[in-house]
Amino acid sequence: MANAVTQSILVVGGGMSGLAAAIEAAEAGHEVYLVEKNPYLGGRVAQLHQYFPKLCPPYCGLELNFRRIKNNPKVRVLTMAEVEAITGREGDFDVTIKMNPRYVNEKCTACNKCAEATTMEIDNPFNYGMDKMKAAYLPHDMAFPMRYVLDPALVASPEAQKVKDACPYGAIDLTMEPKTLTLKVGAITWATGWKPYDAAKLDTLGFKTCQNVVTNVMMERLSAWSGPTQGKIVRPSDGKAPETIAFVQCAGSRDQNHLPFCSSICCLASMKQATYVREQYPDAKIYIFYIDIRAMDRLETFYQKVKEDPNIRFFKGKVAKIEEDPATKNLILRVEDTAAGALHQITVDMAVLATGMQPNSSEDTLPGSIPIDEYGFVATLQAQPGIYAAGCTRTPVAVSESVQDGTAAALKAIQSIARR
Amino acid sequence: MSNRVDPTLITELEHFGLKDAHKCYNCGNCTAICPLSTPENPFPRKMVRLIQLGQRDKLLEAPEPWLCYYCGDCSTRCPRGADPGETMMVMRRYLTSLYDWTGFARKFYTSERFEIMAIAIVAVLVGLGLLLFNTGKPNWDHAAINSLWPAEHIEIADLIMGGILSFLLLSNVFRCFRIIMGKMAFKIPLRYYASEAKELLIHTLTQKRFSQCTDRMQWFVHLMIMTGYSSVFLLVVVFIRWFQRDHIEYAIWHPVRLVGYYATFAILYGTTYAIIGRLKKSKAPYKNSHPTDWMFLILLQLTTLTGIFIHFTRLLDWPATTYFLYVIHMMVAVPMLVLEVPFAKWAHLAYRPVVVFLLKVKERYAQETAAPATAEAVVEGAIS
Repeated sequence: MANAVTQSILVVGGGMSGLAAAIEAAEAGHEVYLVEKNPYLGGRVAQLHQYFPKLCPPYCGLELNFRRIKNNPKVRVLTMAEVEAITGREGDFDVTIKMNPRYVNEKCTACNKCAEATTMEIDNPFNYGMDKMKAAYLPHDMAFPMRYVLDPALVASPEAQKVKDACPYGAIDLTMEPKTLTLKVGAITWATGWKPYDAAKLDTLGFKTCQNVVTNVMMERLSAWSGPTQGKIVRPSDGKAPETIAFVQCAGSRDQNHLPFCSSICCLASMKQATYVREQYPDAKIYIFYIDIRAMDRLETFYQKVKEDPNIRFFKGKVAKIEEDPATKNLILRVEDTAAGALHQITVDMAVLATGMQPNSSEDTLPGSIPIDEYGFVATLQAQPGIYAAGCTRTPVAVSESVQDGTAAALKAIQSIARR
Repeated sequence: MSNRVDPTLITELEHFGLKDAHKCYNCGNCTAICPLSTPENPFPRKMVRLIQLGQRDKLLEAPEPWLCYYCGDCSTRCPRGADPGETMMVMRRYLTSLYDWTGFARKFYTSERFEIMAIAIVAVLVGLGLLLFNTGKPNWDHAAINSLWPAEHIEIADLIMGGILSFLLLSNVFRCFRIIMGKMAFKIPLRYYASEAKELLIHTLTQKRFSQCTDRMQWFVHLMIMTGYSSVFLLVVVFIRWFQRDHIEYAIWHPVRLVGYYATFAILYGTTYAIIGRLKKSKAPYKNSHPTDWMFLILLQLTTLTGIFIHFTRLLDWPATTYFLYVIHMMVAVPMLVLEVPFAKWAHLAYRPVVVFLLKVKERYAQETAAPATAEAVVEGAIS
């Protein structure tokens, strides 16, 4: 136990595990700073259509957590913020935080007038670039904080003044600058999460060259009612309902040329997405191409249920190549049925690449001396005295494990600064 | 066919150069990425699997190793680093040793010491032979090889050597034929063989299947070595009377000169490319080098280099150096021919086109004798 000069705790990352860590620590009486890079909380979970174990929409669980934060004066949320430096030691850390300008202040009521006044459009990152949105935007329907954001490109454009004038509440401040903030905290929880592995690196699987190849995270957005197609699962090339869909497992996972580890969630995620397709298209035929099915934990029963569906075929074999038929935009998959030892060419309307989880810590430069393992994860709960890793920054986990992990990290953080 | 599992197989194959096959987790990526793999003959995973399962008998009958030209795509893209391309190479060495009834190929592949000793012994015998059997009347005024070893005498030695080599290689090819054809060996009428004979010739000369590989450079290099080697082989064995001359009598466009120059260039280019590649491990097929791979390249390059030196010492008219180099040249070239052609790496120049040809014959026979309905489409549309 250190001699703590402050009882404050910093939580880095406002995704599922960071939210849990922040709320648990705050409800135990600690002052918490929750730092999030995006303009909203909720992380990757907010972008899902449904999540395990009950296949309910994640807005439900997020809303509960947001309410706990809203009602707790001990949590201070800093969005569009990144940790730049950490110095000091357990019980006495000095943290430098860079705050990027949102150009919208707390007077915003999310009335949408600014967006109506804007003509500039930008790629929508929430939908993985599958559609465009106004450059004055609410990141998503249930964004927390419920506050608009102005893209820096809009602020720099001649249109900016017109957008500012459209706001009836004086919520737009075009003069906002990046700010640096220094905090003194006793302990830190590191929960910076993951990003989908870059499918463009899978050069034989056609993500860049075939229009109807999407990734699993894009499939979540295609299925979500708030997504680019209002929840209709359609082919990107022509908007048609797919009659056959292939789920390509281990797209860049368990592969020494890409991610050498198993992300542990993609098998179940594809099975879950197969149920989305089956609900929308009762006649659609689905292939799930796999090396080994890894349906973790009690979700084995979910696997069994999906397996019983006569329209879903589990096909043992890793898809090596996807090519596009230029006329129909159908996809031709080359794959060996390894159970039978037979080489196949299978034509489908659409393919979903089950890409794995790349830890953000593998690409970001971590402040201080937080150690990462060979895969880029902050591999242990106790990364170093006073700094605790949680969720997908520690190991690939599903939502419920992320929550547990965040709680565990919060407890470790509290213990490290507990007065004796 | 027996399905007996032989757990010693994988360790035995390690002597043939097998290293990483145990890493394979059987995802099938290699088979699906290979441009030469077909529904009829899917590879390389099948071979890796048979090795893992110790299926000695099934491996013996497999034609697939000869359908692979080792472009290395499967190894580069293998998620596990199991190097399936190298496993196919190992299988070619193993099958060469199984086809060989003398047991010599096996020793050659599994013992580096035996390989070096065998080559050294043949080299010494050739050296002694040239010292003992010559005219005894060397021309010391001018470089004239024919004054010591007349082309007519070499021709006789060539014919004897050619006869023995042909017998050994053809007897091994016959065993290969029996093994690959299995029960069909003597059932298919000869006319099927005759009708596909064109394929045998085309595959031998062009290796056109190799051009379907992703890395076409490997095909080009392989073709250079093969054509260079074959053409110079013809010159020294069949056309030795016109090749081994003491004076330059032919014009520059004379076929013997042109072919000689081409062969020299082609072999030097091909072997140098391969040697540098193997030293640098520049691509998958060059990553693992078995002692026999090195021996093959070194002997081939030494033969060519000593040949070039002789060419120049003749032009410079240095008799003693020429005769000395001639002995060295023969001490390198003959062991390579005698040992590599029937028993080692050169044997694949027969096995590969023969197996491709035999599969064509089988396929043609099956097509013409079976009911027409069995030609099933490969493309699987929907789930039934």
